Amino acid sequence: MSNVKCTHCQLEFDESVMITEEENPDVYFCCNGCQGVYHLLKEDGLESFYEKVGNNTIAPPLEIESDSHSFDLESFKQRYIKTTEEGFSSVDLVIEGIHCAACIWLNEKVLANTEGIVDATINFTNNKAKIIWDEETIPLSKVIDTIRSIGYNAYPYDRSAEDIKATKNKKDYFMRMAIAIFASMNIMMIDIAKYAGFFQGMKEETLHLVHIAEFIFATPVLFYSGWIFFRGAYYGLKNHIVNMDLLVSAGATLTYIYSLFVLFGGRGHSYFDSVAMIITFVLVGKYLEVIGKKNAVDTMDKIRSGVPHEATIVEDGVKRVVALDAIEVGDILEVKRGEKASVDGVLIGSSATFDESSLSGESLPVEKKEGDTIYSGTINSGKVIRYTATKNYANSTLSNIVNLLEDALSSKPEIEDTTNELSKYFSITILLLSLGTFGAWYWWGGDFEQALIVAISVIVIACPCALALATPIASLIGISWAAEKGLLFKEAKFIETFSKADTVVLDKTGTITEGKLEIKKISGDASQEQLRLLYAMSDGSNHPVSLAIKRYLEQKYPDITPIELRHIEQVEGQGIEAYYGDIRVLGGNSRLMKSRGISLDFESEYTLYHFAIDDQLLLSFELDDRLKEGIVELIAYLDSINVEVVMATGDHERVAQRVAQEIALKHYKSALSPIEKANYIKRLKEQGKKVVMVGDGINDALALSYADVAIAMGSGADVALAVSDVVILNNSLQAIQDSFIISRRTFTFIKQNLALSLIYNVITIPIAMAGYVIPLVAALSMSLSSLMVVGNSMRIKIKDNK
Amino acid sequence: MNSILMLELGVGIVVSFTLLGIFIWAARGGQFDDSKKMMDGLLFDSEEDLRAAVEKEKKVKALKAKKEQENNKK
Repeated sequence: MSNVKCTHCQLEFDESVMITEEENPDVYFCCNGCQGVYHLLKEDGLESFYEKVGNNTIAPPLEIESDSHSFDLESFKQRYIKTTEEGFSSVDLVIEGIHCAACIWLNEKVLANTEGIVDATINFTNNKAKIIWDEETIPLSKVIDTIRSIGYNAYPYDRSAEDIKATKNKKDYFMRMAIAIFASMNIMMIDIAKYAGFFQGMKEETLHLVHIAEFIFATPVLFYSGWIFFRGAYYGLKNHIVNMDLLVSAGATLTYIYSLFVLFGGRGHSYFDSVAMIITFVLVGKYLEVIGKKNAVDTMDKIRSGVPHEATIVEDGVKRVVALDAIEVGDILEVKRGEKASVDGVLIGSSATFDESSLSGESLPVEKKEGDTIYSGTINSGKVIRYTATKNYANSTLSNIVNLLEDALSSKPEIEDTTNELSKYFSITILLLSLGTFGAWYWWGGDFEQALIVAISVIVIACPCALALATPIASLIGISWAAEKGLLFKEAKFIETFSKADTVVLDKTGTITEGKLEIKKISGDASQEQLRLLYAMSDGSNHPVSLAIKRYLEQKYPDITPIELRHIEQVEGQGIEAYYGDIRVLGGNSRLMKSRGISLDFESEYTLYHFAIDDQLLLSFELDDRLKEGIVELIAYLDSINVEVVMATGDHERVAQRVAQEIALKHYKSALSPIEKANYIKRLKEQGKKVVMVGDGINDALALSYADVAIAMGSGADVALAVSDVVILNNSLQAIQDSFIISRRTFTFIKQNLALSLIYNVITIPIAMAGYVIPLVAALSMSLSSLMVVGNSMRIKIKDNK
Repeated sequence: MNSILMLELGVGIVVSFTLLGIFIWAARGGQFDDSKKMMDGLLFDSEEDLRAAVEKEKKVKALKAKKEQENNKK
């Protein structure tokens, strides 16, 4: 059998498992969801979606178990819905399931075609949507159902004041930066003519014309783009602080005044190009910072949108939906299948199964019995349950994690930026030297004009170009080298932080291990026919154990096909019971077998799965998580460069110890909750360590946000990816070793570049102070210093190419 | 010689500032707010999409007129 692509999601599957249609022989679907969406789009005349998707794959439609009526509740309206000036309703949503531009197109299109929707815009960069609709024509729940019908999901988020501010700020900086780049590029072109004129000769009047053109372009850069530096300098001075903004604005303004003096006085050489370059370079750096802040706000909104917005309280047998803040200790709450628990509490009545992967990272559902603690944020994966609240929302686990994440993201710890520190002292020194030069020339020469020109030329020749380029050029080459290796550094500054790291904390599931169960041992025997029954049973469940059994059978018997079973019943937290004719088939853990009267004498440190037909045990599987390829080599490498490695896991001691032994790891921490994991990182940092944390689950998000550098595996949870600083796209552990090599080498070159530009200044500044700066020297030295830095940075990758 | 240079520079400056003006106008209108969407803009520039945009505008106009009538009645 060959693999074919699903007509809707484009994912490839074996032809035998695909859904086909008699009337359309060319279409294949991997699931009913894809089939449904395909026909819906066809009916609405939106087939061009598939042309737009191109070769991209999309996720099959999401299966949503909770209904959308909660979007029409009064508590929801009060919190999330706003009224526009025209009297329409407006809501901000985060759309889940968006993969490519075609997904955005489809959502916007379907919403635009829906009666009653005035406007629907979705931002591709952060997946946030704003929907304006007429409440009298269509309720919000129908709008949400429309989004769900095409395979996506939407969560509301409270658009915070910080989001509005961050968006406005980003736009403002973008505009200022765009104008600065535009003007600088034009000035650079004019500069070619100007500097060519120095060598080949240029008439005084022509040079004057060139200066006028540069003046026209440099003026908006200084006063419009550079305005933020003046503002920053003003607030700095008001608070008695000499900041970078003051030095940038003072340097640029003095250079501008000097150049104006040359332009209208007609003597010497103007430096409008330097004015534009200084402002542009520093502004680009600032813009990247602003984007970083906006991303942090977007991440927080994504996290907050995952928090349930109300809960069902049961009072005297009557159910009532209330806002989370209204829940009091002692209230009885009901949680349906697929819903999240909103506050911490204890289970009452029956047993339950909860997906606690958001806390422990483990994919296996956890079984709960009466009196067990239910943690907020975990998902009920079994039947409807009731529990008593033991904490209110503000003190519950989920709220604690969200608040801690918020604090960590808004004050992300940073290692002091070497270049910034250096340029601060550098700039102060230059300003003082320039002031001294002015005083000396005026004192001994007596000519005010001459003294001013020499003093300003000291500032100009010190040309921060090389210094400004030293870090960005090297970082850029380092980052692009990392990208080739499947590593995405979100910001350049993490190269420096990474190079100084001395401790690596690794999460277990998904980082050290695959996070996928694998069969370690099989006991017993079964015939081909019996194996087909086992295959049929594991085919019908998404439980990680069933998936592992299915994978194993498909690998071992490629031609295996399932037999149709009837009365398939999922026994909560135990397994599956089904019938084939009158034969009873059982598949599950030891408790299922015992409860059905099958005696077992089997113990193992691994996860167990038994298979029995008609009360006779046939097979017992022992399953375990497989180690990731390259983990042992990675730990050996980190040991060799004296970096301490620690494994931090939510799993219990026995499992952690076994894994640590297998990979020859000396230090590990087990049974850590997300908050304990984060506190552990905090303690390491308090001991003065520079910590790199590698993780992939929602449970790692908090610890990741506390680390100096957070690395997430590309296949990890959205939240983990969002809070990380470095993303490993190809999921390989080799990439962590590469990050160390790349960041350490790049940082060495940054230091070399800084040294080069300082040496250059040590030579040229005395010449300028002595009054010997002629335009030719200035022109040559300016270009040379920048070329030196760029040329040196190019050597970073040489080692890799050899 | 210089008058030609002056003319060239003048035209160059006027043209480039006009282009900058257009860019600022587009950026103020929100065209560059979403960097990813902006890059994929070309994909969604067919005649069909243009027609749909016009239809959408008409629909919004009708909805707004209806809402205004309702507001006036109140």
